[in-house]
Amino acid sequence: MKINDNCVGCGQCTSFCRQGAIVVMGKARITDACVECEICAPYCPVKAIEVPI
Amino acid sequence: MRVVVIGAGLGGLLSAARLSKAGNSIEVFERLPITGGRFTNLEYRGFQLSSGAFHMLPHGPGGPLAKLLKEIGADVRIVRSEKTTIRMPLEKGDADYRQGFRDIPFNEFQKPLSNRDRLKSAYLIVSTRKYPPEGSTLKEWISSQVKDEWLVKLADSFCGWSLSMRSDEVSVEEVFEIIENLYRFGGPGVPMGGCKGITGALEKVITANGGTIRTKTEVSKILVENGKAAGVVVDGTEHKADLVISNIGHAATAGLCSEILSKEKHAEYFRALEALQPSAGIKICLSAEEPLIGHSGVLLTPYARRINGINEVTQVDPSLAPPGKHLTMSHQHVAPENIGKLEEEIEMGLQDLKEIFPGKKYEVLLIQSYHDSWPVNRASSGTDPGNNTPIPDLYVVGDGAKGEGGIEVEGIALGVARTMEKILG
Repeated sequence: MKINDNCVGCGQCTSFCRQGAIVVMGKARITDACVECEICAPYCPVKAIEVPI
Repeated sequence: MRVVVIGAGLGGLLSAARLSKAGNSIEVFERLPITGGRFTNLEYRGFQLSSGAFHMLPHGPGGPLAKLLKEIGADVRIVRSEKTTIRMPLEKGDADYRQGFRDIPFNEFQKPLSNRDRLKSAYLIVSTRKYPPEGSTLKEWISSQVKDEWLVKLADSFCGWSLSMRSDEVSVEEVFEIIENLYRFGGPGVPMGGCKGITGALEKVITANGGTIRTKTEVSKILVENGKAAGVVVDGTEHKADLVISNIGHAATAGLCSEILSKEKHAEYFRALEALQPSAGIKICLSAEEPLIGHSGVLLTPYARRINGINEVTQVDPSLAPPGKHLTMSHQHVAPENIGKLEEEIEMGLQDLKEIFPGKKYEVLLIQSYHDSWPVNRASSGTDPGNNTPIPDLYVVGDGAKGEGGIEVEGIALGVARTMEKILG
């Protein structure tokens, strides 16, 4: 999972992440706790979470 | 009439609910897996945080949104906040709260002024209701009347909290329209269940009247036939409609009809779109066992570096936090030139909170920032082109189409009400 420059830091992804793997401070950052479950991606309102193909 | 609504934010849901209640056939398309846009709850560690708004309506149970919800028959309860307070430094002349502070009620805001300025402001409070000032920014107008910088500080705090703008960015006309609305409708209130209490109730109205709301469904194009809006395209399939209402702002809406709109033919509309300035802000969500504010209204903090105001919605609805906890949320305006330095802005906000709540125990739950394509407001108050578009039967609602004098969601409700009048007569 990669956060692109669209991110505004709204934290919506953080609230849907079941691993507590997204910290946000002005912009989201994915931590080592991420298990690549991809649940967060569709909740991003600005298409900032890129899922590896 | 068949109606398609693009976007299930507050403006879209209000429009869909109103039109479905009037007997129209409604389809709402929402790109995200959740409805409510920036006006719904985000569950986080047992708290009902929000996707944007502060679980608060600027004019409470007497305002335009409450009125529209009543007309629609949405089952919501809005509780009027008991008061608004202003945190003042202990001694006049202190620049911040570090030497201590005291809180004064909002309606005593003239107290810190000199006798002369207090008399002048008392006169202005009466005279401006009859002859509202015009032709300048709020800051210019205040400075031309009263030299004391206190009123500018208060204005910045109030405009920052309610509009996410500074007093030198907002027109004096707009602010006096808001003040008139405060006389007319009263001050803020908290919806039970938070933002979702309202958007959830609207969804129930829509589905009870046979309307459908489809999430994870993105509209790729607005169909135009004989010069009029005629439906949308979703996943390559045409959905015909007699009316299209867009809740995604004017710019994104224009993007969906790029084949029809031309920069030459619709030059005026494109100029208005280019002038749109979204407003930016930061919300810091706090958890505390002991109340930090202690009342259900807004605490304005004009002497903080960045924080404009704070509320504590669990004073009205304890279910917005786990048992024994409070949810307290601060808002700070972010100036356009500081959007690139959000981390520094957040650090200043966090430092402010330490000085506003010294010795209090609290935990920072989540820090949420809003700007550009997911902003506080898509168009700063008083600057948007209204609800019409150059294409007949295509309207824009939401925070990018509020009209004058409407704070936040109250402005959204006024815009929707005006649009409904045009459609339903």
